Formats: sequence, structure tokens, C-alpha cells
Amino acid sequence: MKRILSILALLACVLPAQAEVRVVTSLSDLADLSRQIGGERVQVDYIVRGNQNPHFVEVKPSYMMKLKSADIFFIIGMDLEMWAPQIVDGSRNRKLDVVDLSKNMPKLEVPSRVDASQGDVHRYGNPHYWLDPRNIKMLLEEMITAFVKISPNDESYFRANAETYLKKLEAKITEWETVMKPFAGSKIITFHKSWTYFASWLNLVVADQVEPKPGIPPSPSHTAELISLVREGGIKAIVVEPFYDASAAERIARSTSAKVIRLTTSVGGVDAATDYISMMAYNIKTLATTLR
Amino acid sequence: MVRHLSSFVAAVVSVFFFAGNLSAQTTINPDISVIPRFIIQSNDSERLGEGKREFSRPDFAFEELEIVLQSYLNPFAKADVILTLPGPDLEESSLGAEEIYATVVRGLPLDLNVRFGKYRVDYGKINLVHPHAWPFVTQPLSQQRFIGEEGLNDLGISASVLLPTGNVYTKLTMDLLRGAPIGEATGIEDTSGAKPTYANSARLTSFFTLSDHSDLEIGLSGYTGIHDPYNRDRFYYANLDFKYKYRPSSYTSLVLQGEYLLNTRKASQDRDFNAFVGADGNPERRSINTGGMYLYADCQFLKTFSLGGRFDWSKSPYSKDDDAKAFAVFMGYYPVEETLGVRLHYQNTKTENVSSSETVNLIALQILFSIGPHKAHPF
Repeated sequence: MKRILSILALLACVLPAQAEVRVVTSLSDLADLSRQIGGERVQVDYIVRGNQNPHFVEVKPSYMMKLKSADIFFIIGMDLEMWAPQIVDGSRNRKLDVVDLSKNMPKLEVPSRVDASQGDVHRYGNPHYWLDPRNIKMLLEEMITAFVKISPNDESYFRANAETYLKKLEAKITEWETVMKPFAGSKIITFHKSWTYFASWLNLVVADQVEPKPGIPPSPSHTAELISLVREGGIKAIVVEPFYDASAAERIARSTSAKVIRLTTSVGGVDAATDYISMMAYNIKTLATTLR
Repeated sequence: MVRHLSSFVAAVVSVFFFAGNLSAQTTINPDISVIPRFIIQSNDSERLGEGKREFSRPDFAFEELEIVLQSYLNPFAKADVILTLPGPDLEESSLGAEEIYATVVRGLPLDLNVRFGKYRVDYGKINLVHPHAWPFVTQPLSQQRFIGEEGLNDLGISASVLLPTGNVYTKLTMDLLRGAPIGEATGIEDTSGAKPTYANSARLTSFFTLSDHSDLEIGLSGYTGIHDPYNRDRFYYANLDFKYKYRPSSYTSLVLQGEYLLNTRKASQDRDFNAFVGADGNPERRSINTGGMYLYADCQFLKTFSLGGRFDWSKSPYSKDDDAKAFAVFMGYYPVEETLGVRLHYQNTKTENVSSSETVNLIALQILFSIGPHKAHPF
């Protein structure tokens, strides 16, 4: 009997600790951040691949299965994931804690009035706040609060991981700001209004979008207007996410000296974006090279 | 008519509004969508009796208006109200209730979902899809003949549970229904009320993720009810369905979907209430085994365009000599997401029975628009 107990005790020491918190995130970026602070004590999965448009996600039963056994579902919020309530209901997981990470975020482009004539405008403001890395600190704080609710004994572990990660991120933020400083005030064109927070952080000016209104396909007349705008403004970069059709942007580029660049809003959107820091590093490097 | 419609909608909205105020002291309005469909169509069957095959003059017609109200009732339940104004006579048409139901989505043992009210039954794949969301204009023949134009839509109570099949999503749904006449069995109504004519439905469905870009859903459904209450004649449907979707990018996809329905019934009369007569001239009760199927492919080849084809085959629920086949090609154009849709549909339908055979060609252009929130589509 003693021998069995000692074997069990030995196994408990040798085997890796069982992940206590099961997390599903809407975006792959949030999955990476959850892993950074949760370490081996969280089990992480996500719904939207990095090369997928997070605005339009089909409600698949497989997503419901991911949430069925999860403790926490992290979402960006601000109506980015309009599809989330359907998969939450479909999961039938009554214990699931759906955490809207936008709760305390500073919000940009909050409309005073919303109707369909404005395109797919988010009524609570532009939801792409995670593309300003200074917002990650607040986001991690929300994540820790959610983790601690499930696993209170691990609070110091989560906090230590977050501190280490933030130190690394802050060093990177300083480095990126230095790289981009010469381009402050530069104008760019983006396909969708995804880069508002990113541009605001780096003092870039988003002159216009390839979409005439959010979610509305590019029209020939708007493309012609953009060609004039790019020529007159000396704009060098047209930013398109990997999941958008770049043909309209390329038409503009062919008629001007601007270049179409693929920047990614999520981890996995391009091969180089294996985690949040490498994603931001890739975006900064690609943009700086184009603006130079 | 308009006054009648608006007051009805206002009444329903008020119920939700005040329910919210009374229970939570907050304003909780439901999501409201309005989806009208119009159609311009022509077929070549009008003068077939005279031996002439020519297309009729295309006419504008109103097809249907759907008013959809959806809301959470409380943290545990949701409610859906779908009102319809059927065509073609827009001015004289009156508003009806297509579906009115509440669904308890959480809080029940075994994570059961329970639905009650009048609703489209979870039977087969296409039955839960409203016509505005079909990629084509016409209903598949097997659905028309065995299920009916309005789909399998009845008063009842439904319970569904997710089965423990590991990471594979498997759902079992069971329904107890009032047993309204369906398909071609539309006329026999038991006015005596001597015995209930309840119907039962069940569906087992599994969903498989094949890759990052492709998924497959397979379903098996069964339905039984009484189609002749006086003779207590019962029918049984077994239905196998599948849907495969390949979506390599946001702008392109391929859907393959099909259903095969088997019908077994005892019947003493045909769909027109003519008694079956045996070789000896006496009335007889027959065992009928027939079926039907459809198979379609729909390819979204640009963000705004899709193109597809469908093959239908169906016997009659009452006769294996009554046979219909159809082939359709259809194209969809959705310039701004799903706020506006245009569908062009061509269909060749051949119907045959022991005494006659007829082929009809149909060309239809359907236009629809949608006001209100656009929820994510279920697979």
C-alpha cells in the first residue's frame, strides 16, 4: 500500500501539472496573450484563424463544442463578434464566463448615431483596440481577473507571468516607436477601418479607406477618388489585411506610386506572425520599409 | 390592411417592451428584421392544353414578407416571432404567424434545450432554412410533395440534447407535435376530435470538421403522423441529409447539400380522396412505399456572385406511378452583403403518371431585401 502511495506521489511530481483553466478566445491574438500569462495552467483554444475575417464567422457546431467544456470565453467585444451569442447559446455551457475585454478600454470612433447608410458601423465604437499595444496591459488585467475567479490559488503565478510579458512588450513598444518616429504624420490608406488605434498610437494619418463605407465593397467611383487622393497626398502605403481581396487596392497602386502591403490584425494572419509581439513586429517592419 | 399590420406589429413589440420594463426596469427591445421577397416569373405551361409551348408574359408578383422579432426573454430563454404576409396579393393578403416559440437555452438538467410553440421542426436540413435564405427560388419537389410549401411547421414541444461523442458535435432532437396535415395530405381533417392525431419527429445530426476550410454535417430524421384520421392511417418518413461546405477564402465557397426521403404509409384513398379499389372492385387499403430526393451544388465564385444547380426527383406520397423530376440552374447576386439579393432561376420539371406526362420550363427572377440586424448564418 505504502509502495502504491509513494508511486502515486512520485507520479504527481513528475507529470506536468494539469491545466486548471480552460480558455477559448474569439481571436488568435487573445489566445496568445492567454498563453503568455496562463502558462501551463491554462488550456487555450480560439475560434477565428488569423487569416479569417473576424467580422463574418459562420456559426459552426464545432465552435460550440470548443465552448462546451470551457471555463472562460474571451471576446474583443464592441460587437466585433456579432456571431458570439449564437455559439455561446449553442454550447449549452451554463458555467461559461463570457468576458468582454473592451469593458474599460479607451474607445475611438464611437458614433453618435448608427444606421445602415453608414455601412457596418460598430455602435459601441471601433473595436480594433488590440492593435495599439499600449492597450494590452489593461487587457491582461481583465484576463487575470477572469483566471483568478476560476483558479484563485494561481493569482501570483498569473501576475508574475503578466509582469514578465509586459516588460518584454514595453521594451518592444519603445523600439517600435523609435522605428516609426520618422514617419509621424505620414498618410496611409487602409482597406477597412481596422488600423485606427494603430495609426493613433504611431501618429499616422489614415487618409481614407478602400471600402467607401465599412463593410461596403469598393466601387469604381470611390477607387477613382482614392487615386487622386493618393497622388495629391503622396501616399506610399495601402494597407490590406490578408483576408480581403486586394484587387481594388492594387488598381490604385498601379495608377499611383503607392504600394499595397499586407498587414495582419491577428496572429497567424501571415507566417511571420506567430505570436502578438512577432505580429506587431512584422507590421511595423513592413510599414516602415514601405514608408521609407 | 396596412393599419391592421402596423397595429399587430406594434402590439407584439409592446409585449416585449413592457415585459422588459416590468421585469427588469430596463428597456429591452427585440431585434426586428423585415424581409420582403418579390418575383418576376414566366413558364411555358399555360397553353400546353392547346398543344402550344410558349412562355407566358412575365408578371411582377409579391412573394412573401417576413417580419422577424427575436429577443432573450430572460437569462434562460429566448423567443422568436416570425410573422408572414404571403403573396401574391399584397393588398388583400393578411398577416399570419409562421412561427411563435420560446426556447429554454440554459438552466435545464442535462443541458437540455426545450422549445415550445409553433415552429419549423428540426427535421432534415432545408426545413429549418427560411425561403429567403435558400440559394435558389423554388422549393425542391420532394419537400413540396412530402412536407408542403410551408415546410414542416407545427405546434408542439421539442427537446434536444448534445450527446457525449467526444469532440464531435452530435445533437438529438425529439418533438411531440399537434400533427397538422402536411405535404399532399392537406384535406383530411378529423372534426370528431375522438382521438388525437399527434405526430412525432426526431433528428440525429453530427458535425465533422474535415479541415480548416471544409466541414460536413450528416443528419438522420424520422417523422410519423396520421394522414387519415378516420381510418387511423399512419405514415412514416425517414430522411437522410448531408451538407458539405468548402470555404477556402472569405469570398469563395462550395456547398453540396442533399436529402433523401423514404415514405411508408397505409392508405385507403389517394390525395384527392378517391378510394383505392382492388382488382375485385372492392375498396382496399394499400401499403405505399415511395420517396424523393434533391441534391444541389452552390458555388460562390466572387464576393457578390454565386452559381449553382439542383436535381430533384420525387414520387407522390400516395402513388409510385406519379413521378416528378426537375433540373434547375440558379445564380445569386448579393451586391452589399445580404441587405439586397437578386436570384435568377431556371427550372425544367417533368411530371409523369400512368395517364399523362408534362414538361414545364420556368424562368424566375427573385428580388429581396432585408431591413434590420443580420445575424451570423448557422452552418
